Amino acid sequence: MTDRDTDAASDIDLIKRAQAEDIDAFCLLAERYARRIHLLASHYCRNKQDAEDLSQEVWLKAYQAVGTFRFDASFYTWLRRITINAFLNHRRTSFFRRQGQTTTVLLIPIDLETNFESSSRSQENIYNKLLFESVVSALAELSPAQRLAFLLRHYEGMSYDEIANAMNCSTGTVKKGVWRAIGKLRARLSPEADAPETLTSFASEY
Amino acid sequence: MHNCKATRELFTELLLDGVDFRTDEALSVELNRCPECRAEFEALAATLRMTGRATEVAAPPNDYWTDYHSKLRQRLLHTQTESTTSRAKAQRHREKLGPLFEPLRPRAGASLFIRFLKTSVPVPLPLAIALVVAAALLVPLAIRAARKSVQPSGSTTFVRVPVEVPVVQEKIVTRVVYRDRRPVVSTTKRRTEASRAESIFAKSRTELPPASLSGFKPPDEIKLTVIKGGVPNEK
Repeated sequence: MTDRDTDAASDIDLIKRAQAEDIDAFCLLAERYARRIHLLASHYCRNKQDAEDLSQEVWLKAYQAVGTFRFDASFYTWLRRITINAFLNHRRTSFFRRQGQTTTVLLIPIDLETNFESSSRSQENIYNKLLFESVVSALAELSPAQRLAFLLRHYEGMSYDEIANAMNCSTGTVKKGVWRAIGKLRARLSPEADAPETLTSFASEY
Repeated sequence: MHNCKATRELFTELLLDGVDFRTDEALSVELNRCPECRAEFEALAATLRMTGRATEVAAPPNDYWTDYHSKLRQRLLHTQTESTTSRAKAQRHREKLGPLFEPLRPRAGASLFIRFLKTSVPVPLPLAIALVVAAALLVPLAIRAARKSVQPSGSTTFVRVPVEVPVVQEKIVTRVVYRDRRPVVSTTKRRTEASRAESIFAKSRTELPPASLSGFKPPDEIKLTVIKGGVPNEK
């Protein structure tokens, strides 16, 4: 039996225990997948507190719904579905609350090839922080649907059909959203100030 | 032939799927042909690398997770307590209201109608008295109101009498008159005949009364004569 099989088997065991309202078992499941969910949430939300709240909300919903898990898909696939729904609901509920808020983020042109290798440890930390802030602020400029589609495609490696199914929209809409998102990110994060927005213009034609 | 648009269409998919242009020969050939496409590809690759790198950076430190999981455990415990409380509340309600709906529960050998007839609901005595008094007051009022609505408000009555209305029927009668052709006569003869006819017509106008349809009575049966090609009763 491989490690993966052992993990899968113990996943099933933990889920069965969680279905019998064993909080410890559910917490063990959460410890396994919390980082991935939190990563998505941290890229989806604009600040850390929101990301933490949203990821915890996902786990609470998962706990309430764990009794309905039928073992016909992997636990993470099921959990990801709950995550997407929570994100979409969060988008709907937080729209009015967030209107009017502004974030000020320092943006610096970054050349990954040269700067990363030559920088020291502390400089790297500062650089990483700035990089993350730049990426998050660039992601924040996307529409929630574009952002979610991009995150699921890029970070989760989901296919367009899977994303379309999860987001209740057509595959073409998802493709268009991802292309536009990449075009906008490229225009925002590119080292050249006046980079040609060829992909953005191409995406709009799609 | 290099097509920039077609080449760039592939960029996103290839980059998102993690394809390196150095390993993909076809793409490498296309990018070597067009420096603009190559620059675009590299810019996109840098963008996606940057977002990917941000993922690694975004991971919180380990001490964050202990706090995170303890918070999550507390929230889960709170949710479980709440759900247990609400379940117990629901159970209490069921136990309290259960006897009311006991007769309606399905049982073997009893139809729903019979169970409905046998159903009784306990009502507090004051409420029952109030309901009976209200019914006793309302029934006569309702009967009186119904009678009032049945009685006519005025003395006018409407009687339906059938009235025969004569319908004028018109009959159109046509009479066909045939006149024999007269032989061709000379102009002088025709003149004399014309003058004679005129004198007869003038005489008849003065002597005979004017023609009228006063005494004419149309027959009950109408005989139609079909004329085709100028010959009567042609078959």
